[in-house]
Amino acid sequence: MSLPVTPPPARAALLAHPSGLHPALWRAHGSREQAGSSAVASGFVALDAELPGGGWPVRVLTELLLAQPGLGEIRLLAPALAALARGGRSVMLFDPPAELSATALAQLGWPPGQCIVVRGRDGVRHPSLRRHLPGADVCWALEQVLRSGQAGAVLAWLGAAARPDALRRLQLAAQSHEGPAFLLRELAERIRPSPAPLRLSLHTAGPDELAVQVVKRRGPAMSRPLHLALSPVLSERSRARALALRTGAQAPDGTLPAVPAPALLQAEPR
Amino acid sequence: MLWFGLHLPALSLETFSALLEPPARARPVALLARHRIAAANAAACERGVAPGMKRATAVALVPDLLCGEADPARDAEALQCVAHALMAFTPAVTLVPPEGLVAEVQASLRCFGGPAGLWRRLAEALAPLGHRIQRAHAPSALGASLLARWQDDADPPRCLTRAALWPAPATPGLDDPAWAELHRRLASLPAAWLASDATALAALEAMGLQTLGDLKRQPRSGLSRRFGPGLLHTLDRAWGLAPDPREPLAPPLRFHSQVDLWARADNTEALLAGAAVLLGRLVAWARARHARVPGFRLDLHHASRLRASAAGEAGRHVSHLEIGLAEPSADARHLQAVLRERLAREPLAAPVLSLGLSCDQPVLGPSPDGELFPSLAGQREGLLRLVERLQARLGESAVQCLAPQADHRPERATALQGITGPGSAAPLPTVPRLTRPVWLLPVPQALPERQAGPWLGGQPLHLLGGPERIETGWWDGELVCRDYFIAQAPDGPLLWVYRLRPAPPSGEPGWFLHGRFG
Repeated sequence: MSLPVTPPPARAALLAHPSGLHPALWRAHGSREQAGSSAVASGFVALDAELPGGGWPVRVLTELLLAQPGLGEIRLLAPALAALARGGRSVMLFDPPAELSATALAQLGWPPGQCIVVRGRDGVRHPSLRRHLPGADVCWALEQVLRSGQAGAVLAWLGAAARPDALRRLQLAAQSHEGPAFLLRELAERIRPSPAPLRLSLHTAGPDELAVQVVKRRGPAMSRPLHLALSPVLSERSRARALALRTGAQAPDGTLPAVPAPALLQAEPR
Repeated sequence: MLWFGLHLPALSLETFSALLEPPARARPVALLARHRIAAANAAACERGVAPGMKRATAVALVPDLLCGEADPARDAEALQCVAHALMAFTPAVTLVPPEGLVAEVQASLRCFGGPAGLWRRLAEALAPLGHRIQRAHAPSALGASLLARWQDDADPPRCLTRAALWPAPATPGLDDPAWAELHRRLASLPAAWLASDATALAALEAMGLQTLGDLKRQPRSGLSRRFGPGLLHTLDRAWGLAPDPREPLAPPLRFHSQVDLWARADNTEALLAGAAVLLGRLVAWARARHARVPGFRLDLHHASRLRASAAGEAGRHVSHLEIGLAEPSADARHLQAVLRERLAREPLAAPVLSLGLSCDQPVLGPSPDGELFPSLAGQREGLLRLVERLQARLGESAVQCLAPQADHRPERATALQGITGPGSAAPLPTVPRLTRPVWLLPVPQALPERQAGPWLGGQPLHLLGGPERIETGWWDGELVCRDYFIAQAPDGPLLWVYRLRPAPPSGEPGWFLHGRFG
């Protein structure tokens, strides 16, 4: 029995970098270097260091698991998505859980005109929709978008429509999507298997701070969550107040900070 | 001059078959005119059906024969559509009813790469219409149409595809090779084609004149006396000895076309075959006018009785489907995809008998150039097409982009608007430095007030920042008077809450949750 006839130096080089053999090969013990897979820098150096490929992966689904919307997920994604949007690519949002504020997006550097919101017909009651599965529209639209590869990035809140077969279809469709594709799902889905090769769970870690725990990735498991400082909402003073609240929750003058009296506010000049 | 002649030997049958659903096209199909078979497809001919046969005989031979009625008006419309497809390449196209057309192409040869290149482009343009075509080249229009009717001339001698001087030299021997070749070929065509009526035909046969060559050899005065001057003039036109002016066809300013479906269409799938025919005609017309289609209207003509009972709208037996495109297009496949999604979304009000398609305002001008390398504008166009498909199924309002508005009321500071025209990299709008959450609740959620502060989920909220007073909108009846605070829920996330001002009477909620800092 002999190995294929390969000159020894070439074989050694290949074994040192096996990812050069085939794009689907990856190293289990080193998450950083990944030949063949491109990624979009997340804008957080510490996070890039943990993500396989050094950023948000493209051509695959990425799952973000969070207990409720509004933990800072948009601010986590904003640096990468804003860079895509400023480059003229569109970011499509499928069934976002609430209305979006264009002002807030623009402040994150994200041109609102490049932000396309797609909503399914589930809110509509029409006799023709009797046979209509909940979320089927959004799944269909998302699959079309992923297959076409025209969008810069997609974010989808699928809710109950994210059934395992739908996810597998989407994962296949994502292979022709040249950009990151994020599915934002319930934290409870963490225990269920998913075809997405990267799954992260997000938790609040404090004011303007987010804890990111890797649930699944190509590479070693992550021991402790990563704390990221998001683009701040709070002023210095408010932040100090929040930190004081956290350290000494039972402040001597009660838990509530001083709120200016309405009468005082009314006296201010407009 | 160089004329292309086209003859569509199975026009009638192909026009009818195009309306059938694809599985039915392989079945034996025949067209009837006055209870006799006028045309039959290959599957029917194989089993013994022949033109001229009585209907009963044909059905006895082939019990599952699919019989349609021959309709000269339908054929004329299909022929017109072929003419439109030709008009994308040359303006001088003339119909030769019932099944042929001729086009003068000398001026177009150089642009499209000679006769071979032009034929290739023509074949591409005509392929979607699905007709079998016999072609011919000749220096005279009538000659081209006669030769095309005789047989398909795929590989003509070089002398025929070269433009020749007109008129033909009258003296034989000094001939231009193109004319000589044409005369040689014409001479073998059947003389019966030029007979004006049955008497002339009988006379030709009685005199033993089989071919045009036989006719041409007869003394002119005798021919003129027996058959009238018309036959002689026709011969001269074919030979290129007499002028043969042709009035070129002009595409209509507005497009309207209608087809009767073969069978009553109860679902959208059955409609699509007919709609595809109409869209093919629309695209051919748009190409003829060098225009693109910004949208079209599909009229569905319903069975009247059923229509009245199904939707309760008695008296209106036509329903309309307006389809607008974000970007004008002349691509039949794209139009079909958009129509398919739209039809899938809207259920039919009643079974459909016939379809009409109209387009009033084409966008004139050439389509934008294709690109060698992918560019931003190209991507944008691809995105627009994608958005159109999504909108066709989900509705216009389901796919929109965000636009900031100059309003201090948070619920009005963001508008959703349609995605239009190709844009470049969007500039970042200048927005005021205000603290705004990404997520805004569609309806603010009332929060109970305890110990002079808002509570959420049974726990107090800590106010961290604010207040920011928003008091505006008195002019449009939507006055808001609110003090906004940034609050922190006990488990950490930041919220945007407001307190009504002045404080409402006790018992009514004064605090509201309006947004989350996503």
